[in-house]
Amino acid sequence: MTTSSAPGTGGRPRDVRDALHATIVGQDEVVEALVLSLIAGGHVLLEGAPGVAKTLACRALAAAIAGTFRRVQFTPDLLPSDIVGTRIFDQKTGEFATVLGPLFANVVLADEINRAPAKVQSALLEGMQERRATIGPATHDLPAPFVVLATMNPYDSDGTYPLPLAQLDRFLAKVVVQYPSREEERAIVDRFGAGEPPLRSGVASAADVLRWQGEAHAVFVDAKVRDYAIDLVRATRGAELVAHGASPRAALALVALARARAYLEERTFATPDDVRDLAPSVLRHRISYDDRIAIAGGDPEEVVRRIIASVRAP
Amino acid sequence: MAGTRRRVAALAAAVAALIALVPLPALALRTLHVDALGMRADRTQVRVGEVFHLAIHARVREAVTALDELVIPDVGTMQILGDERHVSSSVNGTDIVETLTLEARQPGTFTFSGAYVDAIDARTGKPSRFTANPVRVVVAGNGAVITGNAGGTTFAVFHPWDVVRLIVGVMLGGTALVVAAALAVMMARTRRPAPLPMPAVVAPPAPPRTPRDAVAAALREYRTAPSHDALMRLRGALFAVAGVGAGATLRDALAARADATLRPALIAAERTAFGPAHARDAASAELIDATEAWLR
Repeated sequence: MTTSSAPGTGGRPRDVRDALHATIVGQDEVVEALVLSLIAGGHVLLEGAPGVAKTLACRALAAAIAGTFRRVQFTPDLLPSDIVGTRIFDQKTGEFATVLGPLFANVVLADEINRAPAKVQSALLEGMQERRATIGPATHDLPAPFVVLATMNPYDSDGTYPLPLAQLDRFLAKVVVQYPSREEERAIVDRFGAGEPPLRSGVASAADVLRWQGEAHAVFVDAKVRDYAIDLVRATRGAELVAHGASPRAALALVALARARAYLEERTFATPDDVRDLAPSVLRHRISYDDRIAIAGGDPEEVVRRIIASVRAP
Repeated sequence: MAGTRRRVAALAAAVAALIALVPLPALALRTLHVDALGMRADRTQVRVGEVFHLAIHARVREAVTALDELVIPDVGTMQILGDERHVSSSVNGTDIVETLTLEARQPGTFTFSGAYVDAIDARTGKPSRFTANPVRVVVAGNGAVITGNAGGTTFAVFHPWDVVRLIVGVMLGGTALVVAAALAVMMARTRRPAPLPMPAVVAPPAPPRTPRDAVAAALREYRTAPSHDALMRLRGALFAVAGVGAGATLRDALAARADATLRPALIAAERTAFGPAHARDAASAELIDATEAWLR
């Protein structure tokens, strides 16, 4: 399936993937989602228990592309200006000076995004969507590439502010970070027992990432593959145990990720496998589930799996 | 009255002579070596509502891409569910197999007249009609069982003099009847049967075939007319060989059967089906080569 039309010269996306794998044990889905979101120019929501390498993965990604990295720990007392920036009065010059917040970085880790109140979430999500931020009278462009990796802990829900569906929709993908297997856990202890190994840095550059984003747009998506993505999204509407299905933005995200996957694998076209494999990460956070799931203790992941299985691949 | 009879008789005689003497329609007949023309039913005893297949096989020595001269028999009250025609050529000539999928609608014994081909016989240089053997099918309504002939692969040659003898005999029987018969025969010889209606229902696969046969048939079809539908049928046949059905993806197929010879064909089918247009010709050639390699 490989073709002669590989990504251009310079760093390749697979180098970034390899760099992440060199740091992180296992977590293939997380690593792939991070690299694909980089290529597709989207943001990723990571949900998992503490200590499963969510933060490490984000730092490794930033290091691999030699980009700037900022981490923001979201707390209930956080203010929008804490992430966007503010203007302070400089007593020496007698003028206001702009101090850019941590949002101005290539890779931004929004740790436990659901612990901050809605207005802070909105400020972040506005930046994610518009790729610019307004501080005082001036609007500033965010750096490019710009990717937000937000984490959520599914267990400690006390004192959290759940993200509304409209805001979750802004994330290109949501990855559920699983606990490692026994073998992986052994490898983690061996690798990190004597301290964290140095991250592989600079395997690609920010300019490389921008080039990938441009080239990935040229990946061919056949009408049948596109229609398959649309059918999957439409199947979420009216499905059993689903209160509200995914929006058309989900179909855009699915096709964009399928293109990115093809590009990562150095193919010139997307396949039904790309769409099917990536559908769970695109759909799971865009669906609002029926109350019966909570009452009966059902598994939302199983609902998504059933929806995907109900649509015939071309 | 006698004069009238003489005039009608003269007219009938003229018609008969016309039929006998005019070379088989002044249609543009092709010169063909018809080596075989046969007809066979896969079942000769069926019940009302049951489906069976009637296969017509013609073999000509020439390399042809189609045999439009092949006229299939009238199927009477049978319902046509499908009509597939496969053409395969080799150095020895061309085989044309047309398979009708039929559903019996009324009880009784039904005889399909032989399919025929009008052509200039390459052996004699004369217009001839090559006719297949008739096939009889017994349709049981209430459990009746009648034996029947399944057909064979013989063929009969039609001679123009037979028509003359037939019509002269009919003339002796009655003038009015002769005129009617002559006109009917003339119409039959100058007009082809109306094309059969397109099947209203997608037919089930014709005679039971192995997955390998299905791939070979799909490849033949794709080579003859590389349409999108033919491509998807070939891809589906390859997937079936791997052991996965409709709705499966390439990964499913590769996971189900990691056969070193089948794998390139599966991958080439994926590239042809979903790759960009500018790369499709190369992918298609690769698909044909890889499938042929697997068939070998």
